[in-house]
Amino acid sequence: MKVIRIILQIGVLYLFTLIGTWIVDWTHLPLPGSIIGLLLLLICLLTGVIRESFIKDGAGFLISILTLLFIPATVGIMNYPELLSGYGILLVVILAISTLFTLTLTGKIAMRMEARQHDDT
Amino acid sequence: MMTLSMLVLTIGIFYFMTWLYKRSNISFLFPILTSTICLIVLLVLLDIPYDTYMEGGRWINWLLGPAVVAMAYPLYTQWQTIMKNRKIILSCVAIAMATGMASILFLAWAVGLKTDVKLSYLPKSITSPVALQISDAIGGIPQFTVFFVIVAGILGAIFGPIIYRKFNIDSPVSRGVAMGSASHGIGVSKLTEYGEKTLSIGSVSMTLSAILGAIVCPIVAWLLF
Repeated sequence: MKVIRIILQIGVLYLFTLIGTWIVDWTHLPLPGSIIGLLLLLICLLTGVIRESFIKDGAGFLISILTLLFIPATVGIMNYPELLSGYGILLVVILAISTLFTLTLTGKIAMRMEARQHDDT
Repeated sequence: MMTLSMLVLTIGIFYFMTWLYKRSNISFLFPILTSTICLIVLLVLLDIPYDTYMEGGRWINWLLGPAVVAMAYPLYTQWQTIMKNRKIILSCVAIAMATGMASILFLAWAVGLKTDVKLSYLPKSITSPVALQISDAIGGIPQFTVFFVIVAGILGAIFGPIIYRKFNIDSPVSRGVAMGSASHGIGVSKLTEYGEKTLSIGSVSMTLSAILGAIVCPIVAWLLF
């Protein structure tokens, strides 16, 4: 029973992706349909148009296999063997410095802002 | 036949790598990284082109859209936490975007990269479907952008936990906002290990980064190049 419920609920989530894609096609927003779908579903949940139980199991299942879902797209790197050369390594090194610096700085600033918020209240 | 075998192969390798990752507890064995390397090596050895692989792979890829939509669920259950911390989340997403762009443009300039590569870097911290569109719009090389986005995500997922420990980043809000705004969906998928609160802050930061990036990247590209 749970398997059928998960499949049906993924269908509901897919419907939101489709509606999001239509909206993007109409309005030419520079965002993917799935992000619009996410915002729409959030609004529906918060306003009570859609009950939590209606998507809970499907959403929980998809989030639990999220890492798997990225793999086919990631394998696409094989089409760019030049990225495995010295030049590619240089590109990755500066990407790593920038990304990890950003992650650290943002985390530290968030910690500090949180501490201040707690002091105020 | 090919479709089914590629599907089974991907899922099989992924579950084995996940098992190995959990069992060994080594963050470098992050399943996306190990599964991808394993699959690429296999495909090259068996002389199977990527397009043939994707006949099976696209069925998994197809679920990515509904999975992004599914992130509305943790956002909904954690809505009070998000609203309580909205100022921190909004400011930190903006800070992360500015820091990420400034640092990568500086480094790219320092090592003397060409303009189209610099432009391809700009949307690196944004979830791949959005980054792809941005890159295309500002004159980057979309394939390079996809590569940068994926690597930025994997780097965050692997080194994020080490950074959290080293720099005492130990609250759900700071962990979520740092990962979501620096390493998008792949980084956020790592946050499932830290519980629903961290995960929801991560997904809301990722979503806000995508929206902000879609607005800011074209402006930065127009101003600087």
